[in-house]
Amino acid sequence: MATEAKTPSKTNPATEPANEPANEPSLKGTFASVMLLGGFILASWLGAFILFMVKN
Amino acid sequence: MHVHRLEKIWLTFGIAMLAVFLTVLGLMTFSMGIAPPTGHAQLDPTKVNETAPFDNPGLHEVGDGVYEAVMTAFTFGYNPPNMEVPVGSTVHFTVTSSDVVHGFEIPGTNINMMVVPGEVNHASHTFDKPGEYLVLCNEYCGIAHEMMMTKIIVK
Repeated sequence: MATEAKTPSKTNPATEPANEPANEPSLKGTFASVMLLGGFILASWLGAFILFMVKN
Repeated sequence: MHVHRLEKIWLTFGIAMLAVFLTVLGLMTFSMGIAPPTGHAQLDPTKVNETAPFDNPGLHEVGDGVYEAVMTAFTFGYNPPNMEVPVGSTVHFTVTSSDVVHGFEIPGTNINMMVVPGEVNHASHTFDKPGEYLVLCNEYCGIAHEMMMTKIIVK
């Protein structure tokens, strides 16, 4: 118990700079999925908009 | 609160997209008059032929190059059956049904609406290109539904 208490914890907020959490999860996959979905929504919207303008 | 760098990017992207869509919609409402229909006109569907303006269906010139097409849809056709307008004319369609639900679609234009008995529906289009425009019913209305059409000749 005594040795555990002396080991500095990586997640101790007092020893970490506030803006750089060490255990930040990697969101690359999430980012790619969100951007793909966003791109699909944008393309669909533009498609409908262009069709509307051409037919108007 | 800490927000991940990538999370900031996709939030900005999403909010910017929403802002662009709404701005375009808002600008078009005023610049091009693209807005949901306002007003609610009703009539007795059993007395369509006696109710103005449907007691006198046809193409009426309401201004320079502007026409109002008063039309009734019925099984299985439209009254008046054929119309002719000069190129560049703007036609305001005022349509109702004297029996069941019909459709009113002009392929190649943005006109596509339902014609419901008891209700008056409106749509407008400026015919800039000469040709024959098909008006067809796209709501199944009976045994000869596929024969229900008329033509607008623009020349």
